[in-house]
Amino acid sequence: MNHYLVFFRKELMEYARTYKLLIILVVFTIFGMTNPLIAKLTPELLAGVMPEGMSITIPEPTALDSWAQFFKNTQQMGMIALVLIFSGVLSSELSRGTLVNLLTKGLSRRAVILAKYSAMLSVWSLSMLLSVALTWIYTVYLFPQDQVGVAYLLFAISCMWLFGAFVLALLLSSSTLVQGNYGSLLLTGLVLVLLLVLNIFPSSQEFSPLSLASQNLEIAAGKIDPSSMYSAVGVTALASLGLIALAVLMFQKKRL
Amino acid sequence: MNILEIKDLQMSFGGNHVLQGLDMTVPEHSVFGFVGRNGAGKTTTMKIALGLLKAQQGEVHVCGEKVSYGATKTNRHVGYLPDVPEFYGYMRPKEYLRLCGEITGLSSRQIKTKSEELLELVGLADVNRRISGFSRGMKQRLGIAQALLNEPRLLLCDEPTSALDPIGRKQVLDILSAIRGQTTVVFSTHILSDVERICDRIAVLERGKLVLSGTLGEIQKEHRRNSYSLRFATEQDAQEFAQLGELQKPAITLELEERVLNIVIEDNSIHGQELIDLLSLKKIVPERFESMEPTLESLFAEVVR
Repeated sequence: MNHYLVFFRKELMEYARTYKLLIILVVFTIFGMTNPLIAKLTPELLAGVMPEGMSITIPEPTALDSWAQFFKNTQQMGMIALVLIFSGVLSSELSRGTLVNLLTKGLSRRAVILAKYSAMLSVWSLSMLLSVALTWIYTVYLFPQDQVGVAYLLFAISCMWLFGAFVLALLLSSSTLVQGNYGSLLLTGLVLVLLLVLNIFPSSQEFSPLSLASQNLEIAAGKIDPSSMYSAVGVTALASLGLIALAVLMFQKKRL
Repeated sequence: MNILEIKDLQMSFGGNHVLQGLDMTVPEHSVFGFVGRNGAGKTTTMKIALGLLKAQQGEVHVCGEKVSYGATKTNRHVGYLPDVPEFYGYMRPKEYLRLCGEITGLSSRQIKTKSEELLELVGLADVNRRISGFSRGMKQRLGIAQALLNEPRLLLCDEPTSALDPIGRKQVLDILSAIRGQTTVVFSTHILSDVERICDRIAVLERGKLVLSGTLGEIQKEHRRNSYSLRFATEQDAQEFAQLGELQKPAITLELEERVLNIVIEDNSIHGQELIDLLSLKKIVPERFESMEPTLESLFAEVVR
């Protein structure tokens, strides 16, 4: 427990001093601020680029369009930023040899994995919180008349958060399985592509972690009943825990 | 008491047999030079002693306790300095020592006093920069400080001086020499002058086995050959002496180079005293009479041939 706290603190110091934390927070702040703006301005931007004499009718943007931007940005650029920032979090320590010294001093290997995962998860949660708060404030400000079901919205956001937690667990366990900084990135990418391929079969969608990051808008809009997501939520949570257990197991056997 | 005992250690990587039945003991309070060529298996031996690698056969005991792979229990007795120590570049020296101290379970106050003391010892007391700006010599010295933090009974240093400039090397050797009273130091190297400077015991590793071990004095005594070098005032004296009938024996090899005569005597019953008797009998005073001590370098070249 003590080792876990010591190493957790070391991880946070690392994120702060190597600008990892700053970069990820800036990215998610930009998302948070631009999501509502883009939704609001899209019709005007479109009108501006239309050739003269041509007109299309675009429905008036709503608060839901703002949240649509939020989910789209988080699912794409947000995830990419997250994975890139954290891809070397274990593998670079192994290839540089910074961990070996601490491990010979008796640092528990399980504490390393758990502390690293908790630290990544904390940063991811903080980023989400920031982005959600900013999107929320600006949406209420720009679309004061619109109502979005808060319970549905929060559930949709939680699904996205859980998906991020799953991706981070995947990334960490990958880096205990393969060597090198890019190996873990590649393995994570492969698993996600595999999930995409599996998604072609409608019956698998009900259980796929990918559903948590692709149907958020429908959930927020109340078009999908939250109860239909429960199996995907359960599978993803269990898979994340399983991946972390696997990472601990593999790391304990790893030759350094 | 032996602080480190290695018995019949065997290890191979792929088809490459690095260690082939290595036996080695390190007594307490010695500075032990672990010598061998690059790739002889020095680092592998240390990593096995630290529980970082699994030996295929054999045992390692540290302070009487058996080392087992993957476990770090015996490491509480051991300080380890890797060949190229890697630290977190974004930390300051004190912060790194604090991290190490917290992992080994020292109290906050112990960490503070001990790190100040050690940073003083390694000459980094006034350095409050981040480690990323450190030179190699500074990193090596910080490496010694972190290895000594938990007051280990055994300090394992893996080629601590190999990558350093002469000043950095001297600093590191001086530090290792200064701590010899408090802890047993084992350091691997292929720089023989470093060994001669601070070690009292050496072991030479070659083809996975020890080919030479003991105290420096013992080894030199054991390998001292009955050989002498005489320099005469004139070439004439040298030639005259070399041609004496008393020296024309199969056990004696003579080598004359201008005024210098090298004499190697294979028969141990013939002593140097007889040469001196012969000199006085012939009334020749040499400029120099030297009994040849084997240098570590010549011994090393001999055993690893």
